[in-house]
Amino acid sequence: MRTLRTSGPTEAFQPQPPRWADRLLEWFCAPHLLEEVQGDLYERYRRDVHRMGAKKANQRYSANVLRFIRPFALKRKPTAQRSEQYPSLSLFSTDMIQNYLKIAFRNLARNKAYSAINIIGLSIGLAAAMLIMLYTKDEVSYDRFHAHNPFIYRITSKSVTPAGIVENQQPYTGIFPGPKFQAGVPEIISFVRYQENRKDLKQGNEVKSQTAYFADSSFFSIFSFPLLSGDPKSALKSPKSVVISEELADKNFGTTNALGKILFFKEGDKFEPYTVTGVAKKCPQNSSIKFDVLMPIEVKAEDMADNENWFSVFMNTFVILSPNANLKAVEAKMNQVYVADAQESIKSVAKKFGITNKTVYSLQPFTDMHLSKELPASNGLVDESNPTFSYILSGIALFILLIACINFVNLTVARSLKRAKEIGVRKAVGGARAQLIMQFLGESFLLCFAAFLFAIVLIELALPTFNQLANKALSLSYLFDAKLVAGYIILFIVTSLLSGFYPALVLSGYNPVQTLYSRFNLSGKNYLQKSLVVLQFTLASFLIIASLTIYSQFNYLTSKDLGYDDKNLVVIDKSNLKRSEVKLLKEELLKDQNILDVAPKNGGFWGTVAKINGETQLSFAYETVNETYLPLFKIPVLKGRNFSTAFPSDSSQSVLVNETFVKKAGWKNPLGQVVDFWFKNEKYHVIGVVKDHHFASLSQEIKPQLFTMKAANEYGKAFIKIKPNTETASLQHIEKVFKKLFPLNPYSYKFMDQENLKRYESEAKWKQMMLFGAILTIFISCIGLFGLATLSAERRTKEIGIRKVLGASVPSIVQLLSTDFLKLVSISFIFAFPAAWYAMDEWLKNYPYRVNMSVWVFLVTAFIAISIAFLTVSWQSLRAAMINPVASLRSE
Amino acid sequence: MKRTYLGEFEEIVLLTVAVLNDAAYGVAITDELDRQTGRSVSISAVHAALHRLEEKGMLKSHMGDATAERGGRRKRLFTVTALGSRALHDIRAMRDQLWNSISPNALPAISL
Repeated sequence: MRTLRTSGPTEAFQPQPPRWADRLLEWFCAPHLLEEVQGDLYERYRRDVHRMGAKKANQRYSANVLRFIRPFALKRKPTAQRSEQYPSLSLFSTDMIQNYLKIAFRNLARNKAYSAINIIGLSIGLAAAMLIMLYTKDEVSYDRFHAHNPFIYRITSKSVTPAGIVENQQPYTGIFPGPKFQAGVPEIISFVRYQENRKDLKQGNEVKSQTAYFADSSFFSIFSFPLLSGDPKSALKSPKSVVISEELADKNFGTTNALGKILFFKEGDKFEPYTVTGVAKKCPQNSSIKFDVLMPIEVKAEDMADNENWFSVFMNTFVILSPNANLKAVEAKMNQVYVADAQESIKSVAKKFGITNKTVYSLQPFTDMHLSKELPASNGLVDESNPTFSYILSGIALFILLIACINFVNLTVARSLKRAKEIGVRKAVGGARAQLIMQFLGESFLLCFAAFLFAIVLIELALPTFNQLANKALSLSYLFDAKLVAGYIILFIVTSLLSGFYPALVLSGYNPVQTLYSRFNLSGKNYLQKSLVVLQFTLASFLIIASLTIYSQFNYLTSKDLGYDDKNLVVIDKSNLKRSEVKLLKEELLKDQNILDVAPKNGGFWGTVAKINGETQLSFAYETVNETYLPLFKIPVLKGRNFSTAFPSDSSQSVLVNETFVKKAGWKNPLGQVVDFWFKNEKYHVIGVVKDHHFASLSQEIKPQLFTMKAANEYGKAFIKIKPNTETASLQHIEKVFKKLFPLNPYSYKFMDQENLKRYESEAKWKQMMLFGAILTIFISCIGLFGLATLSAERRTKEIGIRKVLGASVPSIVQLLSTDFLKLVSISFIFAFPAAWYAMDEWLKNYPYRVNMSVWVFLVTAFIAISIAFLTVSWQSLRAAMINPVASLRSE
Repeated sequence: MKRTYLGEFEEIVLLTVAVLNDAAYGVAITDELDRQTGRSVSISAVHAALHRLEEKGMLKSHMGDATAERGGRRKRLFTVTALGSRALHDIRAMRDQLWNSISPNALPAISL
């Protein structure tokens, strides 16, 4: 009975010819012949079944069909003739497209609220997605503009333990690797060393501290930074030459035509003339190398002779490989060169510092630096970026777009009730399903297109804020890039399909008889619509929790007691601040009664290593201070005493350590313990224990810290404590004194508490991004909910009228209409809370000092989500409930 | 006189259409051919011949009734046109003329 097929009640148990043969015939046979041919074949088939059974009949049917593959049956009639008899089913008939457009515009115009909700929601979603694409494109385009691009590499190294474990990776190099590897490895065509430095630049009577970069003369042949004037080959050849940016040229000389002009930079104690040998065009926005001042690097012969300089690492070295070079082979050769050349110093350093780790050199593609976490673009390279930032941003943008698409789907399906009649009529007069799908997809394309245009306007408006948040200089003109435009078009098409496909399929599937005959009941339970609403609010609640958590962590970081007093503290920098100068500075400053105290400290962060308890090595932060430092910061000394002028030997014999140091050292009785700087042959005794305080950012754990007054160590800055609310007067005095005492040094000041806040800039950015994301998702979800509530109220107008006539109160009707939606919002918490809890817990683990995830965050989120949803829904519900029942019952 | 060429098979199909009078359509013609001549021909061959004859103007057709065994599809019913009739008559006249021209003993006798 295998061949028995049923296709309808009347034909039940009648054998049917093989389907494939039938299909084949329908496909190849000319339409005007099909009816008679198929009829004849069927008739013959019936007889065959009767005479020789279904199986044989099937065979004969198939054979007969195949015999019809001959020219007369294949040949189609000319179109014009055919269309009279068989109307065209073309999806792109102009008449129908005109009609679709007309209907689409009428629909949009009639339902202004829905059109607005769809267009606004979609355009926000599209704008967000486009902004992020712009951002990501910029991120991945970093450093790709160089002509030598795929062949530029940075020399990096890693420290490998004897067991073969990589202990740390080092993106920087010293003076050796560049020249020595080029000499020893034929594939390395050329190298450039690039180092950041600061130079004091004289501008008229002003002295300005200027970031200057030192580079080898090969700089312009490796990197593609065009010069407006000057010869790129020789610009960095001779000493005392300088290449400046057009901006700096304009600032200093009032013209970009500055070739051959002189700039004065401080060298030792006096200003030396430098000749401008080139003016460079502004460095592209997406470049890791950005310079205003570029000078030839000077490496002394004696430094090149000192083999231990293999271990002095402080700058970036870039190389160009020959195009057919094998990366692995080049790296192997580099390491051979290193091991051969550094042989003796490897031994001597190993002996001196007890180092057992091995250094292994490798190459990092130049274009990988910008987004690399392990080997970041720093130390003179700018804009280093964290790829997670891009991921999170993309995630938020996708969330927003998804929510907007959900709105579209929900509203279109819900509104289709009203269009069911139109669909029925279209079908009854011969509209094919494919045509209806085309129609609805076309409408969604139309809406998306409107949203797309609107999105571009939104981007233009949002770009300045976004640039500030993302620390970028993006502009809309970046859009005119083939790949990005292609990306936007794909985004547009995907969005249109995503938002239009489901409604198109559902709407086109309506049974015309049902829609025209009686009241059409829109697919009873509506599980899809409900689950989409749940999904929307899950995403929205997730983002609310995320932003609340980030907010409280940020608050915690910025308001936590650091263990010292950073209020009313002015910091000024002065390189090589001598002991005598500190004394003079303090005396001069204290002449003003607003100045309370002055304490010097080393510039930047110092760290070193020493032996304790005999042989154990401990690394720690190494702070050079004097006796005023701890009292000025109000940092208590827990055990022992502070440095004191009463003990002249303090500077040569005594140190203070913090609590963590004591803990790490495992000292029961810290006072009097010995810290052995064995490589300098110096020993110090601990005279006091300082309370732990957060001298670094709160995103780092408190590390061991040691305070010394060692006379040979230079100070680099001074902290000046001033009376509260005397900033203006105090700063004027400080500036006057500084300029009098150190006329050749650039003057700049900072407030300590503001500097501390700056450390949390990235957290502040996260906070803002999340907040924006949360607000947008909530907003779009709610306008969607608003639309749904409106539709549901409309659909139930009669029911509400009857209820009112029977005595229902307004509040009870509002409740009736609102609970459905609020239930959905509550269900969304079931999904959002665990996910958010997990994600935020993981994020908080990055911080050694952090807030706990509290129940309050979830309660507040629930409250916010429910109350916003309730406000949205109740507005419509209330309106529906207030309608005079007479009006609603009469409406038909 | 302009002679229209008719193939042997075409001629037979044309004659069968005439035999069937008002009920000439694909399957019926095939069956009639089978019955009258003992030739088992495929439906597609008959359809091709009918198509050609209609193109030559010797047949005309119209759509007939649908029947259940045809799956609700209609038949295309063929009738011979004046041109078709003329062609058949011409052929017959020519054959008759030829028969008449054969001397009585020219053909070897066959026993029937």
